[in-house]
Amino acid sequence: MTRPLLDIDDLYKSYGSEDVLEGVDLEMDRGDVTVLIGPSGSGKSTLLRCVNQLTDIDSGTVALDGTDVTRPEADVNELRKQVGMVFQDFNLFAHLTALGNVTLGPRKVLGMDADEARERGREHLEQVGLLDQADSYPAELSGGQQQRVGIARALAMDPELLLFDEPTSALDPELVGEVVDVMRDLADRGITMLVVSHEMGFARSAASDIVFLDDGEIVEHGPPEQLFETPEADRTREFLGRLQTEHEGTP
Amino acid sequence: MTPTLLQAADWLFVADNLGLLLRGTAVTVALTAASILLGFVVGFPAGALEVYGSGLPKRAVERAGVVLRGTPLLVIIMMLYFVVSVSDSAFATATAALGLRSAAYQTQIFRGALQSVDEGQLEAARAVAMSRFEAIRHVVVPQALRRSVPGFQNEFTIVLKDTSIAIVIGIGELLTTGQNLYEGGRSTAALEIFLAVSLIYFVLTFATNRSLDRLSDRYAVPEGTA
Amino acid sequence: MGSVVSVRPLTVGLALFWLWLSGRLANDFLLVGSVGVGRGEPFVPVAPFAAAADSAAALAASLGPVGEPVLWLAGGFEFAAEAIGYLPLLAGGIWTTVLLTTVSVCLGFALALPLSLLRVYGGRTARWAALSYTELIRGTPLLAQLFVLYFATSLTQVLRGVPGVGVGFVPAQAFWVAVISFSLNSAAYQSEYLRAAFDSVDSGQLTAARAVGLSKLEGIRYVVVPQGLRLALPSWTNELVYLVKYSSLASFITVQELFGRTSTLASETYQYTDLFVLAAVLYLALVVTASALMDRVESRTATVGVGHTRQ
Repeated sequence: MTRPLLDIDDLYKSYGSEDVLEGVDLEMDRGDVTVLIGPSGSGKSTLLRCVNQLTDIDSGTVALDGTDVTRPEADVNELRKQVGMVFQDFNLFAHLTALGNVTLGPRKVLGMDADEARERGREHLEQVGLLDQADSYPAELSGGQQQRVGIARALAMDPELLLFDEPTSALDPELVGEVVDVMRDLADRGITMLVVSHEMGFARSAASDIVFLDDGEIVEHGPPEQLFETPEADRTREFLGRLQTEHEGTP
Repeated sequence: MTPTLLQAADWLFVADNLGLLLRGTAVTVALTAASILLGFVVGFPAGALEVYGSGLPKRAVERAGVVLRGTPLLVIIMMLYFVVSVSDSAFATATAALGLRSAAYQTQIFRGALQSVDEGQLEAARAVAMSRFEAIRHVVVPQALRRSVPGFQNEFTIVLKDTSIAIVIGIGELLTTGQNLYEGGRSTAALEIFLAVSLIYFVLTFATNRSLDRLSDRYAVPEGTA
Repeated sequence: MGSVVSVRPLTVGLALFWLWLSGRLANDFLLVGSVGVGRGEPFVPVAPFAAAADSAAALAASLGPVGEPVLWLAGGFEFAAEAIGYLPLLAGGIWTTVLLTTVSVCLGFALALPLSLLRVYGGRTARWAALSYTELIRGTPLLAQLFVLYFATSLTQVLRGVPGVGVGFVPAQAFWVAVISFSLNSAAYQSEYLRAAFDSVDSGQLTAARAVGLSKLEGIRYVVVPQGLRLALPSWTNELVYLVKYSSLASFITVQELFGRTSTLASETYQYTDLFVLAAVLYLALVVTASALMDRVESRTATVGVGHTRQ
């Protein structure tokens, strides 16, 4: 049996008296595309942030490729080289061009020389369809373009696993498509992705697993067709029902 | 005694001594440059310490800032001159006084600029595996430096003008030169001398502001309409 | 923030300072010769502090190297003794500094308000003239401006001729030259603050004022100015602090304000260290008072939704 790429075991996290994650178990194999859904405040983003240690955990373990990354002596920067992250509000480095954003990590962290970083950066920009905007600054790009640069920036580190924290929820509806297309393309190329998103089109067509998180625990977990068509838990059914009416409500 | 009119003879006197005034101007410019530099070298790390530091060093920097910003420059100069005896050179004393006080203000400028950079920038840098120091150095600082230009511009002209206060310890800067011309030379030319001195200061501050505007435009991050 | 009035050492220190200053001035101007102590004579005797300093120094000497902290204590007592001796002589200087600052800020404001309104609402020529004035003043050193007025104009002679100047409570002409110079200077800076504030009042406010039938002037007077003044309040803290400190420049034209008094005393007694440290402490007391006072004014006049309201 091969060991899972990501193995989260009995994870607890609270902010003060607020319990956010209460014993989460989750495994992902290489090439998996797991989509986390759940009501706001259910702990989805916190779970994501615990994986690359932007948030400290209280107890439990997070293991990447068999290595426990939550041990106190573990090097978070080593971990983060292998786990890329795409943010809800992009967080592009405002003082750098699109290419500058993509090459900063490889140059400063991986020690790549500038020419090589630029060349590879261009390839990554091409993957997200933005080679022509390589010299544009974030403020000159649309939201959808900024998010695609954000994805290229994460890809440039050659990560084992990519985390997406609600990548389309800050976008105008007409710009969601271009970002989802890029994500679907990555999924097709076998990149392991853990995605927090309510973008149902993506979840149905590209996800290998759907995880429904509510009140800090995993309520239900399964392949998309099973979870969407024949959900077992009442809470899941209720949530999916609400999600559907919300979506029909939007023009 | 009463300077009745702007007399041609008095302007001639000013013109004759233009060389002296320009030498004074050179001292003023040198004093400004040295003080701003000292202020930056001390003020920038101090600003970073106020944002990212903690404990005793941070408190010490804050206290020193309150004292330096709350005391007249004149008093600071005299303290360094008589109390600490910074140096035998009046120029060094004036540089230390102007520079340390400027450091206290530059600390405020950089602190504000560093704090104004969005938290998400630091987080995104951490997410591409940069250490905290690398993230601050490569992502936060370059943005903060750009944002501190207007405050820095203001500080630059304040220091330039306040070099005139160094007259109290007798440095041959611009205003002192004017004062000497008036007292040791031709007292009827007072208005002409001090107007000429003021004009030179004005040209200096104006030129400084314009060049810093240029610099700021040159390094500005483009903002499209997209 | 300002409402938390815990008794902190700073608050106590400031209260003592102002209590002492008003007591001192009342004594020197009103009570002297009857019930008060003599002018220049301290309220608190110097002798006990000097004695304490001596015995602490003696103790430190007997303790040898371990006596270092005691030696500092001796230094503290010595400074206290010196300060108590000098404070009565500096009180008049502090008073002059306070007077110089407040009068200049007020006169400066009276000039700045029309100046800033011209900048915002004036015609082309008026705008240009107001802009030139502020840029010329802000582009040259205050000390140079002071020298122009004092050495290069006949302002001093004119003021000397004004009846009442230099008589009784009224300070002499050099003081008034400084007041005029500082007011002209402060007007330029204050008009910049005010212009920025008026500019940031939403233009819809004036339109709305016109819509309810006010004339343009009335709209400015009753709608824009009240909002703008509140927005400009934080800048006044800066301006007040600025003038407290820069009023020390008046010493260059013989005004015996705090710095002037201090350096005169220092050159008589050669106690440069103690005197300038004392002056720094006194200026800090004035500056901290000025900003505390402005904080109070700000929270008093705060209107929900105008400027930043404090929580």
